[in-house]
Amino acid sequence: MDILLSSIVAGLLIGMILAIVALGLTIIFGVMDIVNFAHGEFLMIGMYSGLLTAQATGIDPLLTLPLAAAVGCFLGILCYVGFIKFLLRGPMIAQLLGTFGLMLFLRNLALLIFGSEDRALHHGILVGKSFDIGMGIIIPATKLAAAGLSVLAFWGVWLLMNRTKVGKALRATALNAQGARYMGIPIERMNALAWGIGGGTVAVAGALIVNFWSVNPFVGLLFTMIAFAIVALGGFGSVPGAFFAGLVVGMITEIPGIWDFFTYTFNLDWMADVPMTSFKYMWVYLAYFVIMVLRPRGLFGWKQ
Amino acid sequence: MMKSAFKFLGILLIVGLIVPAGALAEKEIKIGAIYPLTGGAAAAGRELRAGAELAAEIANNVMADIDMSMAKNSGIKNMGGAKIKLIFKDHEGNPTLGADLAKKLILDDKVDGILGCYHSSVTKTVSAVAEQYGIPMINGSSTSPELTKRGFKWFWRTTPHDVWFTKDLFELLKGLSEGKVKGVAAVPKDQLTNLASACEKTEWGSFVSELIEQFAKEYGFNVRKSLLYAKEAPDLSSEVRSLKAANPDAMLFASYTSDAILMVKTLKAQKIQPKLLWGQDAGFETPEFKSALGDSIVGILTRTVFLPQVVQLKQVAGHVNDLYKAKVGNDLTGASARSFTGVQTWVHVLEKSGSTQPADIQKAANALHIPGNELVVPWAGIKFATSGDEIGQNVLGSGLIGQYQKGPDGQIGLQIIYPFDVASADMIYPFPKF
Repeated sequence: MDILLSSIVAGLLIGMILAIVALGLTIIFGVMDIVNFAHGEFLMIGMYSGLLTAQATGIDPLLTLPLAAAVGCFLGILCYVGFIKFLLRGPMIAQLLGTFGLMLFLRNLALLIFGSEDRALHHGILVGKSFDIGMGIIIPATKLAAAGLSVLAFWGVWLLMNRTKVGKALRATALNAQGARYMGIPIERMNALAWGIGGGTVAVAGALIVNFWSVNPFVGLLFTMIAFAIVALGGFGSVPGAFFAGLVVGMITEIPGIWDFFTYTFNLDWMADVPMTSFKYMWVYLAYFVIMVLRPRGLFGWKQ
Repeated sequence: MMKSAFKFLGILLIVGLIVPAGALAEKEIKIGAIYPLTGGAAAAGRELRAGAELAAEIANNVMADIDMSMAKNSGIKNMGGAKIKLIFKDHEGNPTLGADLAKKLILDDKVDGILGCYHSSVTKTVSAVAEQYGIPMINGSSTSPELTKRGFKWFWRTTPHDVWFTKDLFELLKGLSEGKVKGVAAVPKDQLTNLASACEKTEWGSFVSELIEQFAKEYGFNVRKSLLYAKEAPDLSSEVRSLKAANPDAMLFASYTSDAILMVKTLKAQKIQPKLLWGQDAGFETPEFKSALGDSIVGILTRTVFLPQVVQLKQVAGHVNDLYKAKVGNDLTGASARSFTGVQTWVHVLEKSGSTQPADIQKAANALHIPGNELVVPWAGIKFATSGDEIGQNVLGSGLIGQYQKGPDGQIGLQIIYPFDVASADMIYPFPKF
């Protein structure tokens, strides 16, 4: 039983963390209908800014979050103003290829600056600590903190979108950019803001994740893929959808744990021989595929 | 004025025609060394490079106080003192890149031979290129048994391979139940019978995983779980929980540097408590493993081919270790000791062949015998199999199993646990709490 419980808890924790990775992607898509392939690279940059700041200054990695947010926000706005703005004039395919190019550029720039070595944090207030809450459930402190901050970030973004004037303007831009412009909403600025929020949240996610995952210039790809699956599952553009879908995807990555539970509860030798952990992400992409076929709008999608 | 200038140019021209270009420059033998200098195994790459460079330095200069025949001459004596020049290339742990680099070294740099490549998967593709072009390759540190089962004519391996090492592990497990291990009373067999393994899933790790299953059957152990993971994986928590679910007595790993560190960190975070933790060398014995994990590694076992305690058994290893420590700052490791031995083997082969013609090198390598007292590693020597199903494999190698222990000075280091007759300390058993 404790195998099952610990898998469920681990799935929920990682789900919340994956949700914050996908948050920025869904905001950018929701506001501008543009798919940002470079999303994982923003995360990678967030990871590096957290890691390098913590190592250079000796402060705790968790205290680097504001800096990572600022770096991500600045980078998001810079990308919009310097690059994406021009892409919007072109056809859909130019936008797709454009952000793909941005992804390659950022990844190779990171390769040039940081090299291909894996880097990881080995010291910090929470690094390596964990709580044993009984029944075989062990919660790593870093993941708990990351999950908690993810919930806070979602709450903050939800408040911003639903309770402020700026949020209203963002939503208006998302629904009908032309109409919003007639109503006097500066949609260029709204777009830049969406990129700023998107870049900022994903960079924060990166600085949180670097507490327990190692970073190299290629780490973004895995997260881009998972974030796409989450956004598709939750519905493109939906903030609560991203959170809920994040939890679902987190649970899906824990299928091997659930498999182990049945293996050892019923002592089935053939089940022990199936290399489930090697396929843990396959189920995520399978879910993505099924959702795309059955409900292309996603579970919470509100845009046609 | 004009006349004397022409005269001078004329003399220059004549000198240039008479004296061949090579005679003025010292003759060089170019060996391409392909190692993982960046990427997840960069830490091991630095060790490999430093070990190879030190061997080349000793071969190229007279160092009378080192009791090795290559230290007695400056360069290759049989080739008029020709110097060894190592050309380093970085394969980043990528087999395709390794093969490209090998082609470049052969076609552009015109190397006389190749050395490398650490990752068995890369050695596999690089040796295929060397075989295709008929360029000799000596491999010092890749341990997948398959590499010498292909019947290659231009490939020789000095290190023992994983069949040896995995057998050593099971001999140790058997020894524990028989009370042969220094400082440990016989462990009842039923208390140490369930195993679980996690190996990285390229050429090397997946073979180790198979070998563990194979030997477990032979020695009467039960493998409750064996899983493969990607060495680039940024997170191993679901793998570790899967190992934990199997509730094994001993956990066995084959990991490169960054994944070995991540694995132990995750084990620690999940408060996992097996009785024995063993790593198949590689990541488990890099200096980074020790510096990143600190005290939590005390009690972890790793197989290796070199430990600082070897110095007490072999004087020559002590001398070379001192030079290495002065240069790099840490003791020789299994990686650096074997890349050192790889270059040393090249020197002996070249002394014997007296030329850089591939056919002469091939003949010399097949007839080579380096006695054990020349080597820094504790082997009986180097002699390559020329028939049977392991052509090119050194038949005189052997392995060690070490355990991280805290010394009286508070420093963590590896102590020899196996072979039992050269054990340098009592084994810590069971594995202490993380």
